[in-house]
Amino acid sequence: MSDLVAWLPFLQPITALGNAWWLLMVPLVFGVAVVHRAVQDQSMDGYWGRVIRLTVKANAVLGLLALAIYLFVYFVIPLLRAD
Amino acid sequence: MSQQSDSVDGPLNWFPALMGWILPGLGQVLLGHRQRGFRAMGGILGIFLAGVLVGGVDCVDRREDALWFYAQAGAGPVAFAADWANSALLKTGRVGRLIPSPPSNPRLPPPQVTSFKTVTMSNEVGTLFCFTAGLMNVVVILDALRRQPANPKGWTA
Repeated sequence: MSDLVAWLPFLQPITALGNAWWLLMVPLVFGVAVVHRAVQDQSMDGYWGRVIRLTVKANAVLGLLALAIYLFVYFVIPLLRAD
Repeated sequence: MSQQSDSVDGPLNWFPALMGWILPGLGQVLLGHRQRGFRAMGGILGIFLAGVLVGGVDCVDRREDALWFYAQAGAGPVAFAADWANSALLKTGRVGRLIPSPPSNPRLPPPQVTSFKTVTMSNEVGTLFCFTAGLMNVVVILDALRRQPANPKGWTA
């Protein structure tokens, strides 16, 4: 039967993501923010707002790091002389 | 800027911490911090299940990926359940097919692996999700160990 279906959830990895796998960073960071704020904050008032802010900030920092590494690899390293 | 947690120096909450390993966030719930516990529970189980959904149960493997599993086991019995599902369903061929893989020792017969085993980024990301869930639950367990009970009489079972 398993040959008849394209994907068995929880048994087979998702292959449809293709090159967009890095977008999974967003839900991962959101999950970490949910747990971090639940443990760290004294009051639960405004909890979801702080979770969203932490998620946006952490993803922005990770995105900037990725951009910096991209620029370094594709633009700075080719400028280096091999001799 | 967020406020700091209300952990204090005092007796350690060993039972709630143990319960926090059995079910993430349960330690905080037993200590009377229900919202905090349920949110931590949702976060950790959400990350773990998202990892298994993305990477399949093969991303939790006690034998082949022992180092990853040590951290994943921090998420509690759910990690052992995923490992059991991997062993009982995929590695036995009950789901999918067993196919020969290149042997590491040419004198031995080729080992059989499940046709669901992949080396895709999805599998690696799933492994990372489960790993992160395990480590986050260790943080939550340590928090339950030190957190002051909401009820001054102590935690309630």
